[in-house]
Amino acid sequence: MSISAPRYVSGPVVHVGRTTRALAIFRRELLRRATWGPLLAVALTWLVVVAAATFSVAFSSLTGFSAMSGFESPYESVAWILLILIVAATVGAGSLADDIGSRAITLYLSRPINLSDYLVAKAGATGTWLLIAAVGPGCVAVALTTALGYVSASTALAAVGAYFAVGIVTAVFFTGVTLVFSSVTRRSLYAGVATFGAVLSIGVSASVVSGITGNTQILYANPVTLTQTMAEAAFGVSSSSPLNPTTCAVVMVLVGVVLATLAWWRLARIEVVGE
Amino acid sequence: MTAVVDAEAVTKRYGEVLGLNGFSASFAEGITGLVGPNGAGKSTLFRLLAGQLKADQGRLTLLGQPAWGHGEFRHRVGYCPESPALFDWMTGNDLVTTLLRVDGFSRTEAAERSARAMTEVGLTQDGDRRVRVYSKGMRQRVKIAQCIAHDPELILLDEPLNGVDPVGRASLSALMRQLSSAGHHLIVSSHILYEVERLTDQIVMIANGQAIAQGDLHRIRDLIDSRPHVIDLETPDPRGLARALGAWDHVVSIEFVDAGRLRVMTRSPDTFYAALPGLVVTEGLTVRSVRSADDNLDAVFRYLSEGRR
Repeated sequence: MSISAPRYVSGPVVHVGRTTRALAIFRRELLRRATWGPLLAVALTWLVVVAAATFSVAFSSLTGFSAMSGFESPYESVAWILLILIVAATVGAGSLADDIGSRAITLYLSRPINLSDYLVAKAGATGTWLLIAAVGPGCVAVALTTALGYVSASTALAAVGAYFAVGIVTAVFFTGVTLVFSSVTRRSLYAGVATFGAVLSIGVSASVVSGITGNTQILYANPVTLTQTMAEAAFGVSSSSPLNPTTCAVVMVLVGVVLATLAWWRLARIEVVGE
Repeated sequence: MTAVVDAEAVTKRYGEVLGLNGFSASFAEGITGLVGPNGAGKSTLFRLLAGQLKADQGRLTLLGQPAWGHGEFRHRVGYCPESPALFDWMTGNDLVTTLLRVDGFSRTEAAERSARAMTEVGLTQDGDRRVRVYSKGMRQRVKIAQCIAHDPELILLDEPLNGVDPVGRASLSALMRQLSSAGHHLIVSSHILYEVERLTDQIVMIANGQAIAQGDLHRIRDLIDSRPHVIDLETPDPRGLARALGAWDHVVSIEFVDAGRLRVMTRSPDTFYAALPGLVVTEGLTVRSVRSADDNLDAVFRYLSEGRR
């Protein structure tokens, strides 16, 4: 008879796929951000957009202007992009920074998922919050004005489509921006301030330089102009923007994707000496 | 025995700092203690094993798989990191359940396993409290719970008893022994040497990123013949005992520690222990206790570290 050391083998367990595993992180991240800061920022965005769009549409119907220009009116003000920026900064800044700072990221990454799964889940949660802020109030305004009889069903559908188009592109852009800043610091506050500061300073600088040099192509670096140009095209409103709306959308999506890839690259290189 | 973890000349650099420097060792089945001072490279090795870091050089395998990467075999590994950081906004139960979901368990299965693991680490009562209000010891326990909840073959515990109170230490040590008895393989790191000594005789000693010794603790001690063994003896007649022991050529020195105690240094502990009863009988001496003062991990580690300086 021979005696050998026991060798443990886990019992038969059916494991769900990678997508479902990543969804677990997504759900947690989504719930985690449901705190006062992000909720207030989203509520404020909803309030401003619903009020502005509803009143504009009501006013348009009385004055004979196109209802679509009323729906587009929130984008005409810098306030919209500022509110989305606040949502992005409060929701997305801590997305990676909190996990890196606390080193709790290792708890996720020692599981059978890879960095891309983790990042996609995190990006998905930030993007969902941004979509709620960017698309949600527009849809409410459309429902409200349709219920009040200011717009027809076809106009309402077209407006919802336009809100989705602009909202998705904006969400991709700001998700990429917040992810990259969140990946380079361990403090969410720094990431939030950097997101806010970078978008505003680049936007203002692009406008100033474009104004001085007369080169309108520089405006492609201004997120405010990009969003406004895109929104005007999506809602079919006549535009004074010198930029091509399709190019604006491509630039925003591309920047978002490139920045998210940079965040992935950065995360892959994080090594913590913790001894 | 089969090597659960095999490291061959593994080197890991953090810029100019060497985390591991040509580390080579084999970790056998059962419990293996990874022992070394802070900064020796223990956590670096654990992070390499957990797939968090990639070795710059060398070969590192666990359960026959390359350590780097996040393949499906990670189901078979449980990792309890040294860092006390957890997802503070979650409850203990939520934390373990979420990580089980990321492991790939269904919602129901994850909830059941989470409850079981929380019970095993003694956190049943506190499972619904947020982790942010947990004490350091409770945080350690919840880290261990998330590490064992998916029933892994290999369990990596980086300083698992840090910050745990004495009662908690005893129960967690018992849990580790229980897991080992059930056939799990455990690698447990610690810089508190007696903790490891109580868990296992099977150790790997690490210093400056290199394995300086591995195997059975007592055998390692025996191999260190450059240093004499220290033996404490309690006797009512220290002078008489010292006179008798002084005649043995393998006895290097005799020290009178206090009125009833002698400290003897010998180059041949086996000969000493074998001959002592005969000496006591023939010389008519009384010896109340005999204790090896340095056949412990601390002493072994100290000797080995000194030898490498």
